[in-house]
Amino acid sequence: MDYAISDHGDAAPLAVKILIAGGFGVGKTTLVGAVSEVAPLRTEEYLTHASVGVDDLEGVSGKSTTTVALDFGRITVNSQLVLYLFGTPGQERFWFMWNDLVNGALGAVVLVDTRRLDVSFASIDFFESRGIPFVVGVNCFHGVKDRTQEEIRRALDLDPQVPLVLCDARDRTACRDVLLALIDHLMAARSHTAPHPVA
Amino acid sequence: MKHWTEGFDDDDADESLVRPYTITGGRTTSERNDLTLITLVTAISEVSSEAERRLRRMQPEHRTIFALCKRPLAVAEVASALNLPVSVTKILIGDLIETGQMRTRPPLAFAQAGGIPDMTILEAVRDGLRNL
Repeated sequence: MDYAISDHGDAAPLAVKILIAGGFGVGKTTLVGAVSEVAPLRTEEYLTHASVGVDDLEGVSGKSTTTVALDFGRITVNSQLVLYLFGTPGQERFWFMWNDLVNGALGAVVLVDTRRLDVSFASIDFFESRGIPFVVGVNCFHGVKDRTQEEIRRALDLDPQVPLVLCDARDRTACRDVLLALIDHLMAARSHTAPHPVA
Repeated sequence: MKHWTEGFDDDDADESLVRPYTITGGRTTSERNDLTLITLVTAISEVSSEAERRLRRMQPEHRTIFALCKRPLAVAEVASALNLPVSVTKILIGDLIETGQMRTRPPLAFAQAGGIPDMTILEAVRDGLRNL
């Protein structure tokens, strides 16, 4: 199948995205910034009423609503294809907008910090439960590799087929390789499911 | 490397929420639910004179969006450029679509279908990443 456009007039490219998920402070925006062709952009969305029930709005009195910020970047693949990278908050209260986030996503990178593996559990659960393909990127801050890959896999209770890649979220090449690991993972999955084209 | 937050103006941090909804004429949700964060929107260059008249009667934000989208931009990029929440931006873009001033290209829904994207797309993305 060709993804080229013929019925879209002015030849707008096709947009795809990769989600960069993980807990607070694991380096999502850093990774986005490392590979994006533009400085990471920020956009905001209101938390909907659906999430207000689980939001602790105490202490923000006078503020009738609250927003969630999304950082994203862009890589122009070619004239017909643009890849967006969206740093996505891991907290459950933000999941009201994940249907939109997941729309058009090829898959996800879950970033983890070996010192605080638990902050990325929710993201892994989310992609596992929805059957969205992902790879795990272990952000080795300052070259700290204090745990073996096997230890990290066990601590995350990771399926054996989910790739785990060490990286430094500040390093362009390392981040690119994490994204490439996801694409390889998708291609392998694709060749297994070849008789059932979806796209 | 300079951090991207540097130079950001914090002046509007306390800005009332009234303003975004004033721009939309009080509407808080879009009638269109087909706009996603990465739906690409493009201004139609040869709009009718009627559409041009309508654009002049619209909010300045509508005209800003129209001008920004001379080249295709994702909804999220438009929201970011306007410094408006995504939901408000979607309403404004919806207005421009309704009045025939913009066209959209939605993303393909791979993941919702539990599916893997087409090999052609994956190969293109892989080649693009390798060229980084």
